[in-house]
Amino acid sequence: MKRAMDGGSELHAGSGSGELVALLEAVSRGDRQAFASLYDRTSAKLYGICLRLLGSEAEAQDVLQDVYVIVWEKAGRFDPSKAGAITWLAVLARNRAIDRLRRRSVGTDAIEAAAHIEDESPSAFDIVEQADNAARLGRCLEQLEERSRSMIRSAFLDGASYPELAEREGVPLGTMKSWIRRGLQRLRGCLER
Amino acid sequence: MIDEPDPPSAPADLAAEYALGVLTGDELRRARDLAQTDAQFRADVARWSGRLAPILDEAEPVAAPSGAWANIQNRIGPTEDGGNVVQLRRSVNQWRGIAAAMSALAACLAIVLVTGIPRTTTRAPVPVVQPAAAPLVAMLGDRQQQMKVVASWDPAARQLVLAVAGDMKSDPAHSHELWVIPADGKPRSLGTMGSGKQMHMRLADTLAKLLQQGATIAISVEPPGGSPTGAPTGPVVASGSLSEA
Repeated sequence: MKRAMDGGSELHAGSGSGELVALLEAVSRGDRQAFASLYDRTSAKLYGICLRLLGSEAEAQDVLQDVYVIVWEKAGRFDPSKAGAITWLAVLARNRAIDRLRRRSVGTDAIEAAAHIEDESPSAFDIVEQADNAARLGRCLEQLEERSRSMIRSAFLDGASYPELAEREGVPLGTMKSWIRRGLQRLRGCLER
Repeated sequence: MIDEPDPPSAPADLAAEYALGVLTGDELRRARDLAQTDAQFRADVARWSGRLAPILDEAEPVAAPSGAWANIQNRIGPTEDGGNVVQLRRSVNQWRGIAAAMSALAACLAIVLVTGIPRTTTRAPVPVVQPAAAPLVAMLGDRQQQMKVVASWDPAARQLVLAVAGDMKSDPAHSHELWVIPADGKPRSLGTMGSGKQMHMRLADTLAKLLQQGATIAISVEPPGGSPTGAPTGPVVASGSLSEA
């Protein structure tokens, strides 16, 4: 968590965040030039996230393409009063990558997978950030036990599911669930303080 | 593995678990249903997504595969006004005009070189003999197909002329370096570019013979003074291939 705690955290404030907001707003009006600039500035970050979660270049590229098509169509759903532009994009990419991971493990066929794209959960575009988010999260994660901290991190960043985490740690599924739930509850308590 | 009894999560926990992404199977389906129907649940998920987002800072950026952008553009389809295609055609036409003008300029220059400055009293200049190799032109565009630079190559004079359109977004911390990539695929440096709008360079024989029809001319961003390794190290900002003018 060291980097997320640094003041210069990439997902927060910093240089160019206003520009990204302006680009997203232009994209929502169908401005292709703005869309190309947005892609130039954000695709490496988003591809890095997809690649980290999926591990396969081909799948990461697929998801990346989906994400930008969604951004082109749904940029109007971005609300700069609720979250930063790069946070919104990063979480969107991350959620798409998680969806892909979960479909992979179920072995859903392509037709059902395609149907799922249409059936986008309305929550997928809603992200609410507080001011000082990164510093706050860093501080609160530090207060958790090492075990909870590393599992929450691994779930969010590497896409590990409950069954995978349980197997990795060699504990029953129920034990893993209560560890994580407890960790998340403590995290919320700290974050809302 | 022996499982313990597993009570379903309270909705507040479920929202956090859903945002974290750990759910599978029935629980995942239950969370997706709630996200469709329950505004409070949706708001909780949104808050958790924002809370956890800084963890994504740890994912290192990786340059996206080069084909991704073209696929995205294909999928979003053409704009109502013809968008890119019209714009591209317009800039190609514009640049054809400029390239033609530059070829004409080069031809005049050749006449001057061959015959000396024509005096009004002497006979009309002898028609220039067509050089063995025809001049080549490359229109260097960026990823958005915006024309940036026209390179015209006069093999007879071993002279490369570059004309820069618009801004190349230069800054003192970087240089633009020009490359030729012949059929063997190995980029060779043609030197760094100044900040002027036009540039002439005479190439040594070894480089000159690489500028054949079909060879790629590219511009990359490098440390001041050019690539330290002799191969491109920074992003390519414009490229195009040589063809007959």
